[in-house]
Amino acid sequence: MLWKKVIRDLNNNKGSYAACITIIAIGLMVFISLSMVIDNLNLSQDSYYRNQNFADGFAQIKAIPREEIDDLKNIKGINKIQGRLVKDVRVLSSAGKENVYLRLISIDPEEKNPVNGVRLEKGAQLNKNKLNIWLDNKFYSANNLELNNKIQVIIDGKERSLRTAGVGRSPEFIYALRTSSELYPSPETFGIAYIPSDVMEKLFSIKTVNDIVFTLDPGTSFSEIKNRIKPELKPYGLKKLYPRKDQTSHMLLSQELKGLKSMAQTMPVLFLAVAGMILYIMLKRMVEQQRGQIGILKAFGYTNREILFHYMSYALFTGTAGGITGGLLGIAMSYPFTEMYQTYFNMPGLNSNFSPEYLFTSILLSLSFSVFAGYMGCRKILAMQPAEAMSPPAPPSAGKTVIERIPVFWNMLTVQGIMAIRNIFRNKGRSIFILLGIMFTFSILGTTWSFKNIMDKVVFDQYEKIETYDVKVSLTNPRDRNDITRELKNFPGVDRVETMTEIPAALKNKWLKKEVTILGLPENSRLYNIMDKNYNKIKPPGEGILLSERLANLLNAKPGTKLNMNSVMQKRPDIEKKVVVVGVIPQYMGINAYMEDEELQNLIDQGEIATSAMLKINQKNITAFKKEYNRADNVSGISERSASLEESKKLMGSFAGMIGALALIGIITGFAIIYNSSVITLSERSHELASMMVLGMTPSEVLSVITFEQWFTGIFGMIAGIPLTKILLVGMAQTMSNDVYTLPSDMTGLSILIAFGATTVSIWIAQQAASRKIKKLSLVEALNSRE
Amino acid sequence: MKTIIQAKNLKKIYQMGEVDVYALRGVDFNIQEGELIVILGPSGSGKSTLLNIIGGMDKASEGELFYLDTPLHSANSKQLTLYRRHDVGFVFQFYNLIPNLTAYENVNLSAQISENPFPVKDVLEKVGLSDRAEHFPAQLSGGQQQRVALARALAKNPRILLCDEPTGALDTQAGTQVLRLFKDFCTTYNKTIIIITHNAAISQIADRVFYLKDGILSSIQENETPLSPEKVTW
Repeated sequence: MLWKKVIRDLNNNKGSYAACITIIAIGLMVFISLSMVIDNLNLSQDSYYRNQNFADGFAQIKAIPREEIDDLKNIKGINKIQGRLVKDVRVLSSAGKENVYLRLISIDPEEKNPVNGVRLEKGAQLNKNKLNIWLDNKFYSANNLELNNKIQVIIDGKERSLRTAGVGRSPEFIYALRTSSELYPSPETFGIAYIPSDVMEKLFSIKTVNDIVFTLDPGTSFSEIKNRIKPELKPYGLKKLYPRKDQTSHMLLSQELKGLKSMAQTMPVLFLAVAGMILYIMLKRMVEQQRGQIGILKAFGYTNREILFHYMSYALFTGTAGGITGGLLGIAMSYPFTEMYQTYFNMPGLNSNFSPEYLFTSILLSLSFSVFAGYMGCRKILAMQPAEAMSPPAPPSAGKTVIERIPVFWNMLTVQGIMAIRNIFRNKGRSIFILLGIMFTFSILGTTWSFKNIMDKVVFDQYEKIETYDVKVSLTNPRDRNDITRELKNFPGVDRVETMTEIPAALKNKWLKKEVTILGLPENSRLYNIMDKNYNKIKPPGEGILLSERLANLLNAKPGTKLNMNSVMQKRPDIEKKVVVVGVIPQYMGINAYMEDEELQNLIDQGEIATSAMLKINQKNITAFKKEYNRADNVSGISERSASLEESKKLMGSFAGMIGALALIGIITGFAIIYNSSVITLSERSHELASMMVLGMTPSEVLSVITFEQWFTGIFGMIAGIPLTKILLVGMAQTMSNDVYTLPSDMTGLSILIAFGATTVSIWIAQQAASRKIKKLSLVEALNSRE
Repeated sequence: MKTIIQAKNLKKIYQMGEVDVYALRGVDFNIQEGELIVILGPSGSGKSTLLNIIGGMDKASEGELFYLDTPLHSANSKQLTLYRRHDVGFVFQFYNLIPNLTAYENVNLSAQISENPFPVKDVLEKVGLSDRAEHFPAQLSGGQQQRVALARALAKNPRILLCDEPTGALDTQAGTQVLRLFKDFCTTYNKTIIIITHNAAISQIADRVFYLKDGILSSIQENETPLSPEKVTW
């Protein structure tokens, strides 16, 4: 019989239970979908790394004979080592697209279980003597290619034709970026091509390799090997030696997994806690209201356990419904999420599957939260004796609140205001819940919007404020800067040419070391601006070095710190130079150090060189310019700033959906919290409110008692939400920043304003729902019952 | 004397599932301004229904009800709210005070929405609770709470005061005090008071007594000389 009561009670309060179930479901949906994506990514990554023998260490060298690599195999701790020739070449695209590049990587088609082995997806084995390649699958499909298609590339100024023999992928390029200044892969314009070693050597007329990958014996660490291999490679111009954890693709995938994990762990706890609080308050209230009924049941002889189970069944129902809904939604969401990751992370077997385990986990999690909250709300039943339960509860404690001691404020209030303030102080637990709920809503909205601003800042600052050239020409090898300037300046439409020197270097502060690119910029550069936090232009220092904030943190350096520097591009790479840090500047894309060009040239002592040139050029002439220089053998790339900006804008557009979804979650949560608190207040104080209506107050005047209470708490909640938003942003910036991009944790005025606006709207909507309930309030019924 | 309330063939039917329950089966009466009316009847006779309809808290299913010239039977909820706001005062058996407002604030709650209220302090003094003005309902006895409820109803300076078992929860002494206040209000300010009760003794103070039975006004008895509340034997 009691089941009927449960069903009817649930039906009478369907709005409140639905809101509670929604919050649980949202939290679990986030948890389950993220957990499943994490699992899918991890599973796919592990088997991919294992099957393709992904390298533990990487080295880039100027040139080392292939035979020398065989000797390196004898180093203790190295399991397998391979030398490769790696070169970026430009593709002559039939679609007329410019700036399409392929990274050619030499492989030995006969090698068994090679390091970073290519997983052939379709096509045939490579013929070691022919101009044939395996193309990476993303490039292949993004450019609508087919097997046996010929790809025209420029090698040393000459056009070459490479036949596509197969399509494959390697764990080295799960997240394939051409340069470290890029944020995301662009398979239409950059791909990987695997080519037989002998063929590649002939193509480039080189007998050496410039890249080494190796795996380690089980139980050996990279740092042990580093000291053994480094002296062996140094004579061949070692540019970089780094472990798997610093490999760009691996690093970005790990970073993403880390971010997902922290989100999967925190978000659901917040949501379940909110839902638990709502449930606790609802059930506590119900037990108080049904005190008489409990007394009667006890008088009939129902045991405490039976009655407790009856009231717990509301929590069980909510928990089960929330768990099932959240679990199913989470599993459903994991499909598009995983698919989204497929577009960024190129891994085989990255799929989602229906998971009964996760559905079960979801229900279990939801039930444990709900049952705990429910028990806390119902446990009073156990203590009550039947006679006590049947008699009315002791009158609420009366007395004045602290705030009444501020007469100036108190005298300003209407009677409704007085009622509201006293209620806030008398129901401290509930007021704190509303306060926390609104803080939570505000912070979700504030963080979401700030994050959008942050992403805009990261991208637009780079391409609108810092880099202001029209076109940048990167050179394959450093050239005399005067020659470059002279040549480019003569091209029609070119207004200004500035050369730049980009030097890979290791910067050291005591035991802290970081490999970065130092940019040497002209003193009065107008095409590349270095700026401080307030967008004031800073001249590149004539003496000393400027560090980006993240680099300064990594090196624990501040103005005045003396750093040791050495670069493979120095005339004497073995000699360490000293540079003094003169300033720290914000930089969101990449991590660099900056110097005045002359000063940098003096340090490396290679004469007046340049590695790239920035141009101000008439838009009309850009196409002709590219046509002219795209095929030049000393040009490695031509990038157009407007195209980079456009690409980035497209990416930002794809974030809009995610930001919208998060904002909606925030609004729903705010709505659910306020709606439930209104409904609880209404049921608790129907007597009071009905009395006011009998006195002749309009529904809106009566509602104002509840709304005053909510706005009063809400304003403090929103104000308290500001620091919480900042904390969340700082946490997010810390977990998400890496060497590719550094996220600032700025909270803009607009995002606060939007959070205020959206929170206010969600409170207002919930109050309108409550107002309908007030209009329906039966005066006769409310007043005929005893309080 | 002016007719303040006029009821013609007033019916109230509650639909309980498929069954129609008649709470009022056709009631006709006139009430004059300044009269003290007691409606007597057993449980289920329709007293509370009638009071609720007169007070604008509920609407009749059939028939007509006028307050002065205003047809209450066809009024919408907004008009009924205004009617309750300016013209009617209520006193309930269980007081229905707002627990977290003091006595003064409870009375002020009603006074502040009225067009022509009595000063709150005066009303509290009149009901003998000046010294309890800053007390919360939980700090007052039943009789005192009922007097606050009465003060709250009077403070609005309504033309009609409706009372539902106003002495039902009070002892004799407190009950007498409350009745005295009704009587004074009626005579001093020429206000109309309608009291519904089980308690036949109270009818002795009324100008007229309406007997209600099974939803029908079975008889109306006029008291030539109403008793003073102090003389009522409970």
